[in-house]
Amino acid sequence: MGSCHQTDSIKSTSHIIDCLKRFAFALSIALILTSCSGTQRSFQTGDSPKEVTIYVSTDRVFSEPILRAYEQKTGVKLNAVYDTEETKSTGLANRLLAEKNNPQADVFWSNEPVRTLVLKKRGVLIPYQSAMAAGIPAVFKDPENYWTGFSARIRVIVYNTKLVKPEEAPKSVFDLADPKWRDQAALADPRFGTTSFHVAALYAELGDDRADEFFHRLKANGVKIVSANSVVLDAVARGEVKLGITDTDDVNVALAANKPVAMVLPDREGMGAPVMPNMLSLIAGAPHSEAGKKLIDYLLSPEVERMLALSEAVQIPLRPSVEGPKNIPPLSSFKPMTLDYGKAADRVEDVTRRLQSILGL
Amino acid sequence: MRTAAKTVPRRAFMWPSARAVILGAAAILFVGICVLPTVYMFGVSFAGVDGSFSFYHYRQLLLDPRERDLLLNTALLGTGTAALATIIGAPLGLLLARADLPVKRFLRLALVVPLVIPPYILGLAWIYIGGSAGVLARVLGHDLLSHWTYSLTGAVITLSIGFYPLAMLATEAAARRVDAQLEEAGLMVTRPLRVLRRITLPLVAPSIASSALVIFVLALSEFGVPGLLRVPVFTTEVFTAFAALYDFGAATALAVPLLVVALIAGVAVKLLVGKRMITTRRSTHSGLALPLGGWRALTIGSVVVVLFLSVGLPLTVLAIEAGRVERIVFAIRTSSEAIANSIFLATIGATLIVALAVLLGYGQARARTRLRGLVDLVFIVVFAVPSTVVGIGLINLWNRPGLPGEVYKSTAIIVIAYLARFVPVGALILAASVRQMPVSSEESAEVAGAGWLRSFARIVLPQIPNGLAAAWVVAFILAFGELGATVLVTPPGESTLPVRIYTMIANTPSSEVAALALMQVGVIIIPLALLGVLARGTRLKW
Repeated sequence: MGSCHQTDSIKSTSHIIDCLKRFAFALSIALILTSCSGTQRSFQTGDSPKEVTIYVSTDRVFSEPILRAYEQKTGVKLNAVYDTEETKSTGLANRLLAEKNNPQADVFWSNEPVRTLVLKKRGVLIPYQSAMAAGIPAVFKDPENYWTGFSARIRVIVYNTKLVKPEEAPKSVFDLADPKWRDQAALADPRFGTTSFHVAALYAELGDDRADEFFHRLKANGVKIVSANSVVLDAVARGEVKLGITDTDDVNVALAANKPVAMVLPDREGMGAPVMPNMLSLIAGAPHSEAGKKLIDYLLSPEVERMLALSEAVQIPLRPSVEGPKNIPPLSSFKPMTLDYGKAADRVEDVTRRLQSILGL
Repeated sequence: MRTAAKTVPRRAFMWPSARAVILGAAAILFVGICVLPTVYMFGVSFAGVDGSFSFYHYRQLLLDPRERDLLLNTALLGTGTAALATIIGAPLGLLLARADLPVKRFLRLALVVPLVIPPYILGLAWIYIGGSAGVLARVLGHDLLSHWTYSLTGAVITLSIGFYPLAMLATEAAARRVDAQLEEAGLMVTRPLRVLRRITLPLVAPSIASSALVIFVLALSEFGVPGLLRVPVFTTEVFTAFAALYDFGAATALAVPLLVVALIAGVAVKLLVGKRMITTRRSTHSGLALPLGGWRALTIGSVVVVLFLSVGLPLTVLAIEAGRVERIVFAIRTSSEAIANSIFLATIGATLIVALAVLLGYGQARARTRLRGLVDLVFIVVFAVPSTVVGIGLINLWNRPGLPGEVYKSTAIIVIAYLARFVPVGALILAASVRQMPVSSEESAEVAGAGWLRSFARIVLPQIPNGLAAAWVVAFILAFGELGATVLVTPPGESTLPVRIYTMIANTPSSEVAALALMQVGVIIIPLALLGVLARGTRLKW
């Protein structure tokens, strides 16, 4: 009996040692694999004087090359955290709010106005008047200097060119409630991202009663609410729906991929098309405040507006002097929706709750 | 206390045992890493509009008529997924354990694949298949499925495909542990099917129930699929409170109904399984075998159908969508740093999770009965906390001057996020393993004079290699795919693969999204297959 137990114990001991050896081997393979990438991957931290941290909600594919260019030009180490409202990651605004008592970021680069204005209201930002902002029209700058706008996108109507003739395409966002487009229009979830800005702007422009009525009609017309602007575009390009509302950059990406889509700048005759500038802000209590200011100066330069205009993001320069993207008409050629960004952003929370009940989100 | 201490004679002072110290330390770590972030957030949820203590958010919750629908949807999603995944997975597990299937090792590996595909990607494939312009509509020339695609049914099917391997693995492991002598005794007097029904199944049932519970909680806390398929549940509602309203208090309050549903499910399973937990012994006898006989063709056919629907179809659809191999190669080349980061951090994360979970699981399994049930429920509830709540809680706890701040600024915070989310599931798996082990061998060791550490290392651990391996693999898969909390705490300039893919998806054509998704599947399968090959030839079968 005793010897049997002993053999059992020896067996299981050698077995566990065997398992551990194999595990250690697998672990070391994983470690070798990791070190193969050529970068050192210890638990690295670091605060060097020549560094700056930026939180960016402008899509990474567009913002990363610009930030890398700054790094190469100045030798400053630039740490970026990317995010995108398109995929609805709760990311940066929440992170900035949660980090408020011990800020880690120096600069916030937002791709739309709402988040910046929420952060301004919650005391996360600090005013900074950049000398580089001189050429930018006053309407795109905060009178209190908490934010400065640059390169903008427009909300547009996108349609499938195989299913809709150009002359039939709607000219106004209100046409989406027309029974002609019953079950054939898509809109991204209006609680998030640029769509939340767009609907808040509509409420600010139309007043609550008219806006409520429009969304009731839209709902009755079977509008499809999807998770993001890129999904709107995908649905239109695939022909799942005939048309939808999205942003200029999404349409341009689809055009570049030869998808059968085209866009209309809505309400050129009426209230105008909503223009959404990127916004730059300095974080209150930023660990590298001076480096942050320099980065903001760079990002506000005509050079960056030009780069964003020429990239696939086709962002429209706010400076009349900078040449715009090819597929998109310049700001001077159409009627932009006249907007007080602060007022529109103030409406977001209330509008979100209203639309939750109207659209049954 | 002080006077009492004075009167106690010096000799009577007893150092706490090694067992108490180590298990106590594990419990403290668990509370500090996994429980505190959530507790902190609940503190926030009790702050009113002006910052003073108030039930404001909870009053709002009770007044909101939407809550009833959310509760119904959440419960249906959890129950439906747990039921369907078990219906698919449990029979497969039994077949793998007992039937004379051909190429069993390959089948097992292939059938596990859906588990490593992040649910979000399965959802994407589901849309490419069932959408009104999807593969099915194109092939049939008629839109059949699209009404179902964006629905609760669609979410249940997608999540069941992702989670059935858990039921399968749990059932197989349990079936292998059933004492063969019991079955052989049965076989002497009756037919195999009766033995299966009256002896094997009742012994396997507790494991099936536990895996169903884990699947239930996973489905409950899943955000990606209901978000994608537009099924309003509590996780998407919590997300809205964070992303649209930036209201931390309301978001956390919204997580409470979710945790209550998880708690109810946990208690229900406890009551159902109750005291039927029976310790079993590894046996050299072969026990009940299920010769397929005339059913062979049908059985193999069914397995092939499951494989096709859960692995072949989604991956093929993604490959068609991706279109070209160069896209995938490009995706890998530009993401190599994030891939390396993810493998490195998930390996460390999974190892630490198992190290902590094995102590917690052991402590739970060997605790006094009443306490044991309570600890189990704590694991289940902590596991169900939405990832965003965990993420914001971690920022608030760790982003402060001094040592915590240094941790927060480094990639170590990502490992802590993995631990915070997945130690409970590791502990649940390992507690189940320890419970199946008779306590008598440890008692014999104690009588023979072995210390606790020695008996833990030499007797307990060697008896649960399957449990340890399963826990490690599950932890690795979950950590590798974690997005909700990591996206909030990833330090500037760093990125894990899911975070990178998620931030890249916007403005990326669906072909490239599909390429990225395929890459993520490949990247996670390769190290696991490697581990599988390494484990070959040992008894490390799972």
